[in-house]
Amino acid sequence: MSKTHAEGNPLSIEYPRSRMRILRQPIHPMLVPIPIACIVGVLLTDLTYWWSAEMMWANCSAWLVTVGVIFGYLAAIFGLIDFLGSRSIRAQSPAWPHAIGNVVLLILATLNMFVHSRDAWTSVVPWGLALSAAAVLILLFTAWMGRAPVYEHRVGVAE
Amino acid sequence: MRSALKLLPVALSATLTLTLATYADQPFDIQSQVGPNPVLPDIQQYLFPQMHLSSVVGWKSGETPTVAVGLKIEALATGLQHPRSLYTLPNGDVLVVESKAPPPQPITRPKDIVMRFIEKGVTSGGDPGPSNRITLLRYDPAGGKPPTRSVFLDHLHSPFGVALVGDDLYVANTDAIVGYPYHTGDLTISGNGVTLTELPGGPIDHHWTKSLTASRDGLLLYVGVGSNSNITENGIEAEKNRAAIWEVDRVSGRWRIFASGLRNPNGLTFEPESGALWTVVNERDELGPNLVPDYMTSVKDGAFYGWPYSYYGKHLDPRVEPQRPDLVEKAIVPDYALSSHVAPLGLVFCTVDSLPQKYRGGAFVGEHGSWNRLTFNGYRVVFVPFSGGHPNGKAEDVVTNFLDADGKARGRPVGLAIDKTGALLIADDVGNTIWRVSSAGQ
Repeated sequence: MSKTHAEGNPLSIEYPRSRMRILRQPIHPMLVPIPIACIVGVLLTDLTYWWSAEMMWANCSAWLVTVGVIFGYLAAIFGLIDFLGSRSIRAQSPAWPHAIGNVVLLILATLNMFVHSRDAWTSVVPWGLALSAAAVLILLFTAWMGRAPVYEHRVGVAE
Repeated sequence: MRSALKLLPVALSATLTLTLATYADQPFDIQSQVGPNPVLPDIQQYLFPQMHLSSVVGWKSGETPTVAVGLKIEALATGLQHPRSLYTLPNGDVLVVESKAPPPQPITRPKDIVMRFIEKGVTSGGDPGPSNRITLLRYDPAGGKPPTRSVFLDHLHSPFGVALVGDDLYVANTDAIVGYPYHTGDLTISGNGVTLTELPGGPIDHHWTKSLTASRDGLLLYVGVGSNSNITENGIEAEKNRAAIWEVDRVSGRWRIFASGLRNPNGLTFEPESGALWTVVNERDELGPNLVPDYMTSVKDGAFYGWPYSYYGKHLDPRVEPQRPDLVEKAIVPDYALSSHVAPLGLVFCTVDSLPQKYRGGAFVGEHGSWNRLTFNGYRVVFVPFSGGHPNGKAEDVVTNFLDADGKARGRPVGLAIDKTGALLIADDVGNTIWRVSSAGQ
C-alpha cells in the first residue's frame, strides 16, 4: 500500500491503476460526467416544469433521468470492478463513501425514473422533484468523495 | 424482433412479480362498480403501472365464445383483417369495418418506446394483412351457407363508424367523415367519396376510433372524437376539440361540439324509447386497478363529463395542471358504470323480439378488455337491462370466454350490431371473426 502512494521519487512510484481501461484510459472517470450532468439537469428541468406546467419540460426530465440511470449503471459497473479489483483503491478512505453514496444515488435515480414515467403533473410534482433534489445533494457529496482518489491519490493517473 | 418479442413475457412477468410484491391488491368487489353509483376507491399511483396483457392465440377450429342460457353462437365469417365495427344495411347486408391503428404517434418520452414495444406484442395479434377496408357480407341464415363476401370499400384511413342516410353512406375515417353514393343491393361502392368534415387525426392520434351515427331525421351526424392522451401528457393543446362528441350538419358539413369531457366515446347510438343519444366511454388509466370505472351514459347537449380535470363529477385528477375549477363545477356524473378498465367499444340496443324476451329494450356492450390491472376485466359482451329509457338493473354476461384458461386472448369483442334476422353480431378484432348470436330455440 505504501509503495503505491504518490510520494518520494516520481520516477519510481506506481499510481493505483484502474482495472478497466481502453488504451490506458480508465473507463469509470470517462463515464461519470454523463450521469452527473443528467442528474443535475433533471433538477433544473423539473423546476422549470413546476413553474411552467409546460409538458416539454417534464419530457426533458424523463429523458435526462432515464439516460442518467442507464449511464449511471454503466459507470457503476466499471467503478465497482476498479473498486473490488484493486486493494490499493479500496484502501483509500474516500473510496468507501464514494461507492456507498453512489449506490444510494443510483437507487434514488431509479425510483425517480419510474416516478417520471407517470403521466403529466404527478410525474414531477411533488415526488419527482423531491427525488431530483435529493439526488443532487447526494451527488455533491459523492462527487467530492470521488475527487480525492483521483486528484490526491492519483487513481488511474498514467504513470 | 421476433426473438425480442419472445423475451417480452419474461420481462413482463418479472415486472409483474415486482409490482405484485410491492403492492398487493386490496380485496375489492368489482360488482360494486357496476351500476349508477360506483364505489370509487382512493387514487393509487404506482412506480410502474399495473399491467397484465393478454397475448393473442386466436380461435382453434370449432372453438367459440360461450353464450348465456337461451342463446347459441356461430362464426358468421372468419379470416378477416382486424374487424372492429359492424353496420347492418336495410336489405340485410352487413358491413364489416376492418381497421388498423394509424401510424404511431411521435415518441416524446422514454415511456412511449416501452409502451409501443409492449403494445406490439399483444393488442393487434400480429399483422392481419392490409386491412383499412370495408367488407360486405350477404347471407341467408336459413340457407345454412356461408355468407358471400365482397370488398365494399378499400384503402380507407383507419375507418370505424358507418352511417347510412337515404342514398348517402358515411364512413368515419380517423381523419374525416367521407360520404359515398350507395344504392340498395350494391356489393361495392363505385363512386368517389366526398369529404364532408375533417376530423382531428395525426400526427398524434391517440384514441383514433371515430364512432358515427345519424339522427333519426337524418339531418345531423354525431361523431365520437377520443382524447389525444391518457391524461394530457401530450400537452393540453393536443386536446383541442377532442374528448368530445361532435354534431355535424349533414348538408353543409359544419360542426359544433355537442358534448365534451368524454375521454374516448364509442358506440354512439340512439336509445329507442327516450330518443336520447347514448355512448360508452373509456375512462382514464394509471390511477389503480379500480379507477376509473368505464361507463355508458346518455349524452346531454352542451354537457361536460369531466375529462381531463375530474371523473364521476367532481373527483379531481391530480395529474392535470393547471386545473379548471370552472369546468369541474359543472361536470356531470355519467349514468351507468361498467367497472374499471373493461374498455367498452361497442353498444347496441336490443329492439327485436327474436332474442329472448328479457333482452328486449336493453343494451348490449362489447368490452374489449383490460390491460391496466393485474386481474383481467372485460373481454366479454354484457347486457344492461333498460326500462323507460334508463338502465334498470345489474349488467349480466351474455358472451364470455374470449380468453382461454391460460388468460391468452382467443378473441376480443369490439363493435356490435343487430342483423336483419334479429341476431346479435360481434366484431372480434384479434380473433378476426364475426360472431352471430341468436336464440337457441331457433
